[in-house]
Amino acid sequence: MRIPHIFRIGALVVATTGFYTYVGQMVPQKEVQPPTDTVLSDDMSPADMAKVGRSIMEGKGICLTCHTIGKTGALRFPDLAGVAIRARTRKPGMSDVEYFAETLYDPTAYVVAGFPPAMPQMSAPPFSLTDKEILCVIAALQSLGGTPTVTMHTTHRFTGKGAAPAGAPAPTPTTAPGAAP
Amino acid sequence: MTNRTLLILLGPVAGLAMFAGSVKMASSFSSSGYQAPAPAAAPATAPGPPGAPAVPAAAQGTPAAAEGLPAEKNAVPAPAPPKPYQEAQYRAFPVVGSRVAIWMVAQLHLLFAAFVLAIPIFAFIVEAIGYKTGDLRYDRLAHEFTKLLSVSFSLTATFGAALTFMLIILYPRFTNYMMSVFSPTFLPYVLLFFAEAFFLYTYYYGWGKFHPLVHLGLGLGLNLVGTGIMVIANSWLTFMMSPRGVAPDGAVISVWEAVFNFTWMPINVHRMIANVAFGGSVAAAYAAFKFLQATTDEERAHYDWMGYIGNFVAISAFLPLPFAGYWLAKEIYAYSQTLGLTMMGGAFSWLFIIQAILIGNLFLAANYYLWLGMGRVEGAQPFQKVIKYLLGAIVICFMVWATPRSIIATVSEVRAMRGSTHPILGFLGVMSAKNTAVNILILTTFMSFLLYRRTGKIATVAWAKTGNVVQLTIFAAVAAFVIFLGVYGYFVEATVRIKLSVPQVLSVLCAMMSITAIDVFLFRGAKKTGEVRWGRVPPISQYVLIFIAVTFTWLMGLMGYVRSGLRQHWHVYGVIRDRSPDAFTPTLGFATEVVSATVLLFFLLIGVVFWIASLHDRPDFERKPKALREGAPVAPKSPVATQGT
Repeated sequence: MRIPHIFRIGALVVATTGFYTYVGQMVPQKEVQPPTDTVLSDDMSPADMAKVGRSIMEGKGICLTCHTIGKTGALRFPDLAGVAIRARTRKPGMSDVEYFAETLYDPTAYVVAGFPPAMPQMSAPPFSLTDKEILCVIAALQSLGGTPTVTMHTTHRFTGKGAAPAGAPAPTPTTAPGAAP
Repeated sequence: MTNRTLLILLGPVAGLAMFAGSVKMASSFSSSGYQAPAPAAAPATAPGPPGAPAVPAAAQGTPAAAEGLPAEKNAVPAPAPPKPYQEAQYRAFPVVGSRVAIWMVAQLHLLFAAFVLAIPIFAFIVEAIGYKTGDLRYDRLAHEFTKLLSVSFSLTATFGAALTFMLIILYPRFTNYMMSVFSPTFLPYVLLFFAEAFFLYTYYYGWGKFHPLVHLGLGLGLNLVGTGIMVIANSWLTFMMSPRGVAPDGAVISVWEAVFNFTWMPINVHRMIANVAFGGSVAAAYAAFKFLQATTDEERAHYDWMGYIGNFVAISAFLPLPFAGYWLAKEIYAYSQTLGLTMMGGAFSWLFIIQAILIGNLFLAANYYLWLGMGRVEGAQPFQKVIKYLLGAIVICFMVWATPRSIIATVSEVRAMRGSTHPILGFLGVMSAKNTAVNILILTTFMSFLLYRRTGKIATVAWAKTGNVVQLTIFAAVAAFVIFLGVYGYFVEATVRIKLSVPQVLSVLCAMMSITAIDVFLFRGAKKTGEVRWGRVPPISQYVLIFIAVTFTWLMGLMGYVRSGLRQHWHVYGVIRDRSPDAFTPTLGFATEVVSATVLLFFLLIGVVFWIASLHDRPDFERKPKALREGAPVAPKSPVATQGT
């Protein structure tokens, strides 16, 4: 029996789309949820802050999309293993906390030689990390080759320039009636 | 009851059912506003009219309240207080959800819009070639292309209207914001749309009715207006990805800056080229469909030729497309490194492995079609010997391009490899290798085109041998240069490495342009060694054309998803946050299912377009005389009626 061309064409269209759908199922499947606001308390220990900071690096901050920890070779961006040690001497006269704060609030102020100036400002959208979240990230960075020393009360020259914490009154749009809260 | 009467009765019934269905759906949308989770503590009192004492919520409408004091028993129940106006932020679409509904309608609108924009571009070029050469075949071909336009135009407009209404219903606050930013662009858009309808219908219905130059002028007008519509619409969607001209809180500072944002011009160029490639492939699929249904050699010859031209247009536009893609990616990185890295190294990185498989298939199929096509040209045997080497190069490039940096492995395999990167194959998963592979792939396909072009011809110019040597030298030198830069990329710092793709791309572009220029002069006045026997191709070649069209369509759906999905949980990146239940980024598996469903719907609809277009060629319906239908003998024609015959 000869199958009419119209059915063969239909079968080809279905088989081709079916094949590409199958390929789509073969790659790693990950559903990315919108970032959630981190619950922070003022009496957290530096070690707890480092744990929270690490989860921010992996989630809301998406730091580990670009940075690696413990890799060598042709890297796209600086590896973070041992960064706590390098931060103490990276800029003469600047403490590790100040240096880390600068890389997160004003990342183009100092760019590691051999890498592109691609680090985004973490206190601005789309990340909008608060001052306290950034302190936690600093604690996590200090733990990579050192011991975290920052507390929730540590201040630096960028303190106050972070994003508004969740629940704070949002700026009132002047001519943007549709702006989301 | 006859079938005809039944059909006449069914028409109004179907119309009424559709109307009732539309009303039901609209009321369903407007009543299904998405509400944020309510706070745990319920209000103690219900709102009442101003000045009236508050009524305990528990007492309202309860049996206890109805059986209260006698005075209250006889009282006329007070009308329910008017519901205060509340602007909905989101509304839910039944079953599939708002995002998937908008996604599919937008994608269908874009696919038909791409087709409607592309067909006039090459119909105009083909008609111009026909006018210049005086070859009527080109004129017929251009006319045949435009037959697909009018129905597709209606479908594009219908899906556009559906998309607009659904945005207003499902995402009212966001749509309101976009309207407030882009309101100055709407009137020009509508006027251009009217102009497009004018040019399109006069171009189609005026075929052969005007002086050819006037008709070509209409075609030019149609293309200019269509492009204008596309660039305006592009400003809206690119603003969502790379907003400019607004304050951090969304307040408008400059509409022109909002239009001329980072990705607007790269998207304009990328879409223009991609539309031509896509439109060419769908037109070639139409020709393949007609070829397979053809009953005469003449029809087969015509549709074989039409399919070849459609595919030639598609692949010619497809070759420079990766370069436009590079520019777009560069602008995305320039706007926001985070956005770029999310695309190439984050949530969407594996999508580009799927893209590699699609593009690899396109290259393989396009080359295969060309190689099958060599069979229709007499004297093509010497060139057919080269095919196996070209195939080898394409397969190697395809494998390199589709190699992921991190592979899916079990825990023991990861331990054995000391990471998710394979110790050997991992080197092929980086951009140095992939850029090299895609550039060689383009060069190889270009070589296939060149060989096909040469079949059945011998260059007769005095410098023929030198010309061939120069062409081959350019080809070999550029291939070696591209591979050298690819290897060099492994030994330099990231800042140097990312810039190496530019000379790779430019050298390949230069090679294609210079070799083509030499070829044109080389084969001017060439001696023919064999005729092209149009229609003498195996039927499988026509299925290859349909495969290419489906793959192109699927690729457009996938890349449309990454362009839009890249914003993740933002309506307008970094400005307007998506707070709907659909704010998450779905898995790639789910995304490919939606893309496939859309592609299948598109091909179902394009099948209808093909069928409607084919009605044009059908013989007119001739109603048989009543006597003949009832089986009575036919009366002889009167002498008056046969006079002059």
